[in-house]
Amino acid sequence: MNHRQNIQLNPESLWHKSWVKFKQDRMGISGAIIVLLYLGIALGVWFGLWGGDWGTTTDAFQQSPSWQHWFGTNAIGQDVAERAIYSTKVAFEVGLTVTVLSTLIGAILGAWAGFFSGRWIDSIVLWLLGVLDSIPFYLFVAAVAYAMQGSIFAMHVAMVAVFWTTTARIIRAEVIKLKQQEFVEAAQSLGVKTPGIIFKHILPNTSHLLLVQGTITFVAAIKTEVILSFLGLGVKNGISWGLMISEATNDIQAGYFNNFAAASCFLFVLVIGFNLFSDAVQDALDPKKIH
Amino acid sequence: MDLLKFALKKLIGGIPLILGVTLVSFLLMVYFGPDLTYEQLGKNPTAEEIAQVRETLGYNQPFIVRYGQYLMELITLDFGFSMVKDQPVSHMLAQSIPVSLQLTLPGFILGNLLAVILALWATAHRGQWIDKTIMTGAVIGMSVSFLVVIIAFQIMLSSRYGMNLFPVRGWNIYSADGTFSWWQYLQFVTVPTLATVFVALGYNTRFYRAVLVEEINKDHVRTARAFGHSQKHIMYKAVLKNAMVPIITRVMFSIPLVVVSGSLLIESYFGIPGVGQVTYDAIIAGDQPILKAVVGLTAALFVVILLLTDILYRAFDPRVELK
Repeated sequence: MNHRQNIQLNPESLWHKSWVKFKQDRMGISGAIIVLLYLGIALGVWFGLWGGDWGTTTDAFQQSPSWQHWFGTNAIGQDVAERAIYSTKVAFEVGLTVTVLSTLIGAILGAWAGFFSGRWIDSIVLWLLGVLDSIPFYLFVAAVAYAMQGSIFAMHVAMVAVFWTTTARIIRAEVIKLKQQEFVEAAQSLGVKTPGIIFKHILPNTSHLLLVQGTITFVAAIKTEVILSFLGLGVKNGISWGLMISEATNDIQAGYFNNFAAASCFLFVLVIGFNLFSDAVQDALDPKKIH
Repeated sequence: MDLLKFALKKLIGGIPLILGVTLVSFLLMVYFGPDLTYEQLGKNPTAEEIAQVRETLGYNQPFIVRYGQYLMELITLDFGFSMVKDQPVSHMLAQSIPVSLQLTLPGFILGNLLAVILALWATAHRGQWIDKTIMTGAVIGMSVSFLVVIIAFQIMLSSRYGMNLFPVRGWNIYSADGTFSWWQYLQFVTVPTLATVFVALGYNTRFYRAVLVEEINKDHVRTARAFGHSQKHIMYKAVLKNAMVPIITRVMFSIPLVVVSGSLLIESYFGIPGVGQVTYDAIIAGDQPILKAVVGLTAALFVVILLLTDILYRAFDPRVELK
């Protein structure tokens, strides 16, 4: 019998039970729907269905919201809604890149350190975690931006370098618990090599933690991108919610709130949707909670 | 005596951490960082002038010597002159650190204190509507970007589109005769504090509630209930006191980040001359001496905090030994 199929069909598995539990969580389902909607918007921009006119300028400056311009226009006549929609794609790009990379690095190094806890590999990883955690984040971004000569990926690199540490700490702690269990001993006595034990036997057992931590990283990355772009350390060419808010600080003095309203609404709804989704996943995957 | 020995041991244990942080920041900002030679020279420099500037900047020295010089700067707290402002870095920091503390302390204390109170309240009424309202509020609080909160509070409280009660930006806490004025201070500190508390409450309340709920499910709490202790007694003596270790950890470890990163956004937005503003200006202008100083000092602060946290554990949990 196929191993994977077995996991999905078995009604006693953690994933099956969690799915049943997740389906009953109304907040979680609405969160998931919001996230999927945004994903749809981002994919639509990706395929060129909408959001392509974010840079087009017209002579309709600072218009109020209307049917033609849902969020009005900005100081140089660009459609604010169009810009906010295009920014959704930027946010997802940053969020996904940072989440995938920091989860991968955190999982591998965390598992490695946990498996060899107390040995020199562990000490080095712990030292690295301590070092990265004690550098102020914005300075770190600035420093990375320097070293990379203002590359557009400086923001991504800095976020990955900082965000993987939390994942690594969680995975390390879990692996220290897991490695003492019988299935690891069994694999060892069958002669499975150490990398095989870590990657095939131990790491799959931490996938629920990786999923939960991944959703948390995603939200953090999106929120951080906005602040970094606002400070001039993030997205350079193109548009993002952070750049729109940065643009809005000038408009607000003059009483125009289009940019601010659009960017903060888009951001808020996505983040709250993701937080609700993340909470529900966390609840559903927690084996300690008996229902 | 034990305490002194313990403190010394911990401080020595923190040396690899400081070396690591300074090495990373040195590598990123100085070694791989931009070549500053030509920013210090006029037009059409001669080869001699170039060589001279490179020597003062230390570019002709080997790596280990330059890194050693940076460490010496940290130990002596003498970071040289800012490249932009033409002032000693230590002088600029000495002026801006007190401002940042005055600005962030009220928000930091209120944000944690109120969060613990709300978390206690939610835990005591777990599963009821009070708990649900507080937790929904917390999710909303942590879903709004800090940046949006700052701007929204500024519009609502200090612009003519809102209530227009407080100054829009700036930091002028002295009255006309140059003495400290509480009234002025409150005028300038209120809006930033409200914004900080709003954001901090979301994250803190959730964290503290999780910690307290974990504690309330333990056997000693059930025993205390069986003995007929009052709800108040149980919440404060049995639950809160036992949950102090994770609470202290969170509070202590957020100190360095609140002092530097947290105030960066607020200070640059409200134009308040604290460390955050100085750092932000240095980031934008590429003012290396300041950035080096701030990173190095934050790392040192972290080690001190690690030490203090360990000592505080001892005060709240007698089982923790100083070793």
